[in-house]
Amino acid sequence: MSALLEVRNLTKRFSSGGGLFRKARSMHAVNNVSFDLPKGRIIGVVGESGCGKSTLARLILRLIEPSGGEVRFSGEDLLAKRPAEMRCLRARMQMVFQDPYSAIDPRYTIARAVSEPFTVQGIKPDGIMSNTVAQLLEMVGLNPGLSTSYPHQLSGGQKQRVGIARALALRPTLLVLDEPTASLDVSVQAQIITLLEELRGEFGLTYLFISHDLGLVKYFCDEILVMYLGRIVEFLPATGAAARHPYTQTLMDSTFEPDPKRRRTIEPLLGEVPSPFDLPPGCAFAERCPHATSICRVEMPILLADGEHRTACHNPI
Amino acid sequence: MSILEVRDLGVAFGPIHPLSGVNFSIKKGETLGIVGESGSGKSLTAMSIMGLLPLFGGRITSGSINFDGQDLTKLTDRAWRKLRGGRIGLITQNPMTSLNPLQKIGPQVDEVAILHLGMSRAQARTRTVEILGTLRIPEPEATCNRYPHQMSGGMKQRIVIAMALAAKPDALIADEPTTALDVTVQAQIIRLLDDLVKKRDLALVLITHDMSVIAQTCDKVVVMYAGRAIEQGPVATIFESPHHPYTQALIGCIPHGLAENERLNRIKGTVPTVMNYPKGCPFHPRCPRAATICSTTQPQFASVGESSAACHFVIGDAS
Repeated sequence: MSALLEVRNLTKRFSSGGGLFRKARSMHAVNNVSFDLPKGRIIGVVGESGCGKSTLARLILRLIEPSGGEVRFSGEDLLAKRPAEMRCLRARMQMVFQDPYSAIDPRYTIARAVSEPFTVQGIKPDGIMSNTVAQLLEMVGLNPGLSTSYPHQLSGGQKQRVGIARALALRPTLLVLDEPTASLDVSVQAQIITLLEELRGEFGLTYLFISHDLGLVKYFCDEILVMYLGRIVEFLPATGAAARHPYTQTLMDSTFEPDPKRRRTIEPLLGEVPSPFDLPPGCAFAERCPHATSICRVEMPILLADGEHRTACHNPI
Repeated sequence: MSILEVRDLGVAFGPIHPLSGVNFSIKKGETLGIVGESGSGKSLTAMSIMGLLPLFGGRITSGSINFDGQDLTKLTDRAWRKLRGGRIGLITQNPMTSLNPLQKIGPQVDEVAILHLGMSRAQARTRTVEILGTLRIPEPEATCNRYPHQMSGGMKQRIVIAMALAAKPDALIADEPTTALDVTVQAQIIRLLDDLVKKRDLALVLITHDMSVIAQTCDKVVVMYAGRAIEQGPVATIFESPHHPYTQALIGCIPHGLAENERLNRIKGTVPTVMNYPKGCPFHPRCPRAATICSTTQPQFASVGESSAACHFVIGDAS
């Protein structure tokens, strides 16, 4: 069976600066990313700020145009679609954004925000609409009475539920979730994550879940993609799989557990993520890597498969 | 002997009382964690200790904050100026806004030793370079000549820590020091703070929303909810056998380190805002153990084993 979403060599280059006296600099926000997302699965994309995970999400929905590569959704080549065709397809693939405070127009009532997808798709909101809005709000655990409220009257968690209701309005098959709980309290995060679990069961949804929190991704997802500076450095076919890339291992070691008996004694990684404008020729992680050898600084490791597991490292653990 | 002791702290902003009944004490060489969700009053506690409430229009209405023999609630502005940033240091959440963007790093850190230790500029700079070195900032001398925008978030947070350390403080208040940072950088900063507490015999009050950070670093914990402390005790006891239903529920909300078959706990409802704190126990509308008494009577703190909790129906109370 072919995957619901196939991403091949997806690349996005941004350039910055440039002018009369300065050359423009360019960087690869997403570099040669390929993966398959089978129907009904949850893939988590994890990495630190600037690793390109949010850009990847936007590229997949074609909210920004890729510089190269291919995205196939249900076998259809998204990058070949005209804007009108793309709009039709987006009814089946939706996104939930990180910041619920800015994702909803502050001048819209909740009812209008939730019914916006119908307007965009040219489905006229009439008598049945208020019923549909009420159903959608109930589906995400909100009181339908909130439909006449404005976003500023809602808490962060409630707003994120509105964001999810809006994304589900047209019954999509794929939901791209870009850090949907990053700005929420942990108890609200737990509510949203359990809601997403329930909705997935109910509607057979497929999720691409973007997060900086490896602990959360391990809990919520089936498979994990680890990104570092625009590239996939490791693909874990199961959340329990042991890390082979030293960067993944570092992320795992840096993810604290709520258990005082299991305090971390490891030496934390030195240094920080280098500037994406000025990448070393070899492995981007080499400067911070405890396992780095001379080859790591000259030759970029490619993503090699060992069964389902894929790692881009010269000296895997 | 405690260096900092907070007794029955209450805070008001006009007619609103967002914080009441906070008690804790901390010794040198100890780390105390204050944990809670947004709006629970943890940052207000920090501001009260630092004497910063008047800046925001708040005032302390009850209780005392005893620091090394003096009651901070009765200090004059003049006395505060010596203490704040001197013997008590503050590390804030956002290093991007705690530094002056127009001034180089060096003078910003020097200033602390000049003001609080009466050093000359040259002495202060020598000290700054030394402190930056102990915080593992590469090229400390060159760093003094950089501007904040030339540094990463993790490095900026180290500079803020250096500023707090420059005046040889006895106590540090760290308000969400790693929240704005990536996980690998968070691990570095947490490790750094841990070393400082031990090597310099500091008392560290670590304020965070993250139970995992608490579990990794603290000796004692205060759990806050809706402007009140609801449970406190040694870190091992709080995580192993929480006595307050909220503490137990909050730990159940953390996805980290769960086994394959464990699921997240869902607390029903939402955190009350300061305008509508419930009567009685603030957690009762969301509590699975609540009975009638919980909605009428505020539970008092009572010790249970090694910790203490404010709950009418404490979990695991043998008596």
